[in-house]
Amino acid sequence: MAPPVAVSPLIKTARYSALIAGIFYGKKRYEHLKPIAAEEKRIAEEEKKIREEQERIAKQLAEGKDWISHATIFKHHLQIKLYVANLMYLIFAASEDTILK
Amino acid sequence: MAQAAQKLVAKVPTLISAAVTYSKPRLATFWHYARVELVPPSPAEIPKAIEGATNVIKAFQSGRLGQITVRDAFRNGLVATEVMMWFYIGECIGKGGLVGYDV
Repeated sequence: MAPPVAVSPLIKTARYSALIAGIFYGKKRYEHLKPIAAEEKRIAEEEKKIREEQERIAKQLAEGKDWISHATIFKHHLQIKLYVANLMYLIFAASEDTILK
Repeated sequence: MAQAAQKLVAKVPTLISAAVTYSKPRLATFWHYARVELVPPSPAEIPKAIEGATNVIKAFQSGRLGQITVRDAFRNGLVATEVMMWFYIGECIGKGGLVGYDV
């Protein structure tokens, strides 16, 4: 085993001061970046909520269209029934007229 | 399943003792070298360090740096790289994580 090397004091101080400087730098940078990331997360959450709201409205419109088509079918059905009823009344009235007269 | 777990739990002490017997001499060599090479500078050595730094600056100014061999320059470059790596290790400690900032 080779004997351990006597490291020059310059290198030793440089190493440990670099270590301490790195710890400070890491801490400062983390504190600087943390609020920025929180802000971005908040903005992303709000945009997601708005997007979901819009999707919900779009879905409701799509379903609403179905409801409207059902209503038109119902209306047409009713109109047909009324027409037939009217027809029958006319026929009946006409027949009553001719029969009673 | 339970039997496999039991066998594993029974093997753990032997594993630990095997790891200890493996690492003991290696830890001893590490400690043997680290006690001399990796210690932080004592307060008496700091003026010598400042003197060494001024020497480097003077050499740079007087142009003596143009006369060192490539081998020496390469070695000095490696030492400087190692010092920079200590900075990055400090940054990892400061930001509390290995890869990236945990925001």
